[in-house]
Amino acid sequence: MRAEHEPRPRQDRGRPGLEELLERVARGDRTAFERVYEQVAGPVYGVVLRVLRDPAQSEEVAQEVLVEVWRGAARFEASRGSAMSWVMTIAHRRAVDRVRSAQAGTDRETRAARLEVHRPYDEVAESVQTRLERERLRRCLDGLTELQRESVTFAYYGGYSYREVAELLKVPLATVKTRMRDGLIRMRDCLGVER
Amino acid sequence: MNGALSGRDPHTLAGAYALDAVDDADRLRFEEHLERCAECAQEVRGFTETAARLGHALALTPPPRMRERVLAQIGHVRQLPPVVALPVPEFPEASRASRARRARPSWRSGSVWWPKLTAGLTAVSMAAAVVLGVVAIRAQDLLDTTRQDNRQIAAVLAAPDARAVTDRTEAGGRARAVVSRSQDRLVFVSSGLSPLPESSTYQLWRIGPSGITSAGLLRPDASGGDPPPVVVEGIGETATMGVTVEPAGGSRQPTSTPLIMLTLPEA
Repeated sequence: MRAEHEPRPRQDRGRPGLEELLERVARGDRTAFERVYEQVAGPVYGVVLRVLRDPAQSEEVAQEVLVEVWRGAARFEASRGSAMSWVMTIAHRRAVDRVRSAQAGTDRETRAARLEVHRPYDEVAESVQTRLERERLRRCLDGLTELQRESVTFAYYGGYSYREVAELLKVPLATVKTRMRDGLIRMRDCLGVER
Repeated sequence: MNGALSGRDPHTLAGAYALDAVDDADRLRFEEHLERCAECAQEVRGFTETAARLGHALALTPPPRMRERVLAQIGHVRQLPPVVALPVPEFPEASRASRARRARPSWRSGSVWWPKLTAGLTAVSMAAAVVLGVVAIRAQDLLDTTRQDNRQIAAVLAAPDARAVTDRTEAGGRARAVVSRSQDRLVFVSSGLSPLPESSTYQLWRIGPSGITSAGLLRPDASGGDPPPVVVEGIGETATMGVTVEPAGGSRQPTSTPLIMLTLPEA
């Protein structure tokens, strides 16, 4: 199930892809790193800002993530997934770590208030490609059941653990785990992610 | 699939894992599961790509000063080497030398163990699955849990020098340790060990130049599944972690041949 004209975060023909650039970065190539930066800084900053909501903190965390990409480039293994997803995993985890440490000690209302932020696309998209990507994402998210959508977006955009999601949605843990998995299966197929 | 995992199928965690919606203990357990479930690993790959797309669609141009800062900063940051085999060959040398210096432990099956240990070294599968680059940045996750265990686990995983080693039993059980010499601790996880009768137990051992000490018993968790992760403190000069079957309640020194030998990275 592949979409025809999907804007994919992948390489163009004839230009070194992110995977190849990362290999060069792993050997200490700063020029290659600058090109990696051009490709990943926007997505990294975007996802971190989504999870953290605070621009100053997000800038700091995104910066750490990019330095981590430089530092850990040799740890990227192409056999385990795309370079973009490797970078995004680092970015998302670091944002989630920050949000969980920040929320410790705050009360439940404050945490619940964060739920209002789970709509994934209220910022203005800056490029045509990003706009198309968001439209597609929205369409795919609309194809989920409500519980699937909430489970996936609370976790990914809200930085909540599945235990917290279960608590927030007042459903059993096992249900949340299943909905996250089912939701991702549907999203994967809808977005045409290669398997 | 492995029916022995019974009541708690870790497979269902694949979605939560890919969304970073798990705590450190879950993560460790699930990664352990991934290593022996190719199907799950493939599913997780697809999910991780999917999650990345959820994030990628939110791309926003960061403030231009960020680029300057990052480029300035990498000038002072040393890059990590790739995750490859740990320096295994050094271990037998080092331990042989240190063994020469110490009194042999009062341990009757010693002569059975040591040859097996060296032979086992080649079989130890090394660190392949340590997602260090990723795991090592979870330093902030400590406060999200009230469980002391989780905090210690997180601290070990987040240590800059954390390394993982794995081994498996002939019957298909698996063990993994994530070791931080700087923290003087390791996290030990096992899965798929054959169930034991009530009269016996699995026991974990530290094995080093100054002898062998117990690091505790491995008990099945409350629902009879794999034992929860164990934090072993004070690893000192421990070179190897071993698992044996002992009479219920455990022994002061091992009385049987180890099923699992984890050779730890050197300090």
